Parts: sequence; C-alpha cells; structure tokens
Amino acid sequence: MASLPKRIIKETEKLVSDPVPGITAEPHDDNLRYFQVTIEGPEQSPYEDGIFELELYLPDDYPMEAPKVRFLTKIYHPNIDRLGRICLDVLKTNWSPALQIRTVLLSIQALLASPNPNDPLANDVAEDWIKNEVGAKAKAREWTKLYAKKKPE
Amino acid sequence: MSTYEEEHGIQQNSRATQEIGENSQEEQRRQVRSQLQGLFQNFGSSGGEGNRYSDSTLLLQLLSQLLPESLQEEWLQEMDKGKNAGCPDSFASSLPRINKRKLKVTDNCSICYTNYLEDEYPLVVELPHCHHKFDLECLSVWLSRSTTCPLCRDDVMGHRIINEIDTTEAELEEDWGMYG
Repeated sequence: MASLPKRIIKETEKLVSDPVPGITAEPHDDNLRYFQVTIEGPEQSPYEDGIFELELYLPDDYPMEAPKVRFLTKIYHPNIDRLGRICLDVLKTNWSPALQIRTVLLSIQALLASPNPNDPLANDVAEDWIKNEVGAKAKAREWTKLYAKKKPE
Repeated sequence: MSTYEEEHGIQQNSRATQEIGENSQEEQRRQVRSQLQGLFQNFGSSGGEGNRYSDSTLLLQLLSQLLPESLQEEWLQEMDKGKNAGCPDSFASSLPRINKRKLKVTDNCSICYTNYLEDEYPLVVELPHCHHKFDLECLSVWLSRSTTCPLCRDDVMGHRIINEIDTTEAELEEDWGMYG
C-alpha cells in the first residue's frame, strides 16, 4: 500500500486534538484509511439520545474522490437505506477536495436533523415520511431506542 | 422422449461447446459481460429523443432484472465518471501563477493542506474569477475530472466561454467603427 498522504495524517491529528462536538472518528490500527465513527443524534430530532455507529473509508484517490461512508447502526431515515448507504450530495456529485472528513460527518449529522424525503434512497421510508410524518418520526424514535446506543446521562 | 437439442438438431453444436476448454469459456464470459455492459450503458444513457432503440425502456428493465444490483451500480458510476469530464489539460497550466513574495507563511493549499512556503519554489496558481489559490499540481488533478473551484464551486469553464463571447463582440464593434 502506498504511504499515507500528509493531508490524511493532518486531518486525523486534527480530529483527535480538536474533535467535533457529538462526533468521534478513530482510524483503525491496521488501516489508517478506515475510520470507526460515531454520531450523536441531533437534539429535537427523532434520533435524539441515540449514538449511531458508522464506518468511513478514504479511497486511494482521496481527496479527489469522496470518502465512502455507511451507517452500521440500523436507522429509520428516508435518505439512508437498509444497508446503511447514505444519499447525500457531497458524498456523490457535489464532492470537492476542499471538503474533509470533518465536514462530511457534520453534513451527515445535519441530514439526521433535517431528512429530505423528496430525494429518497429508501423509497418505502420516504413514502411513509411524506404520507404520515408523525407516524414515521415515531417509528424513527422507536428504532433509535431499539438499535442506537444510549447517550450516557 | 426427445430433448430440445435432438428436436432442433443441434446436438453436434452442444457437444462442440462442451469441448471448448476452460480458457475460452472464461473468454466467452468476459465477452458476454462486456456486451451486456455496453447494452446497459447504452440504454441507460439514451434518454428518449433521437434514440434508435424505441423500446429501450422495456429492454433496460429486462436487463436490470438479469443483472445483480451491485454490477449495475458499478456500471452507472463508470458512466457518471465519463460525463463529468473536466477541463482540457491546457487550462490549469494556463492559469496565472502567484509570485512567492505574495504568499503568506500561513497560506496553504486546501487540497493537500501543505503550506506553500514549505516548498522553496512553490508553484501556486489562482483561478481567474474567484481568485482562490491552489498548488498547480493539486488543482490540475482536480480539474482533470471537474470544472468547478474546490472552494466555491464556481464553474471555471463557464466564465471562459462568456469571456470569449465578450471579446468577439468587442471586435465586431471595432469593425463596424471602421466601416462606419
């Protein structure tokens, strides 16, 4: 494997020394391009009080190519499918090499706070969200309780 | 009871196929795969008008059912890469270069995060409209696959075309002046 680009080392150091509130990202010991991530559900969202686990991988072409991110924790959200794949513009067509791990994770946290059922990845969830928002949010809250780790008091 | 092969008199052929070695079977598989990929991408990209396959939607649906989802996604991504082709190679190297004396110690390239002045001979360029600066090397790689500024998403090629139109109009006006 090629040596780790300086940029990745700098980003990793900054993530540890100056972490984003509500988000952790730790590189794997054997593979410094693979990160174990946790995101706290935003307050006043159905994901409140839950801690969601994700995996993030920096492809060889990073930062010319976006990081690959996936939810490991089951989540009921119109833009996240049952495999944990995320529908988010900055991870696809709107990626820019000036973005970074930190900004991507913040965007995902923002996506939890404001789901976008009009650009769905999980079609059935999006339909539910549009037809019956109250019910869908209740289900999202229930799933958070069932599957996400509890935020320590 | 006669088999399909016997009925259609193709027993010879089927035996011949069996005799083909493992290698050529692999080769055949590869050929079928690339043919399928071609069909899939062709149908996927041809949107309605000017399309020589009138029933392409139906065919695409059939193909989609035959192919595993992961493979379809891979092929679609390949197509996207082709579509989002970047600027011509000459564009990045034609950008104005920034004199070392104009760079501050803290200025760094937002693509590689390296301070420009760490390099004794930094090669830094500036985009003409948004004035964002980058290492030429880093920006060239990005502009080979995109036409946007990494920092503000300004379409760098868009401006160039407008400029060209502007100059031709100016020239036209000059010509009119001469004849007037």
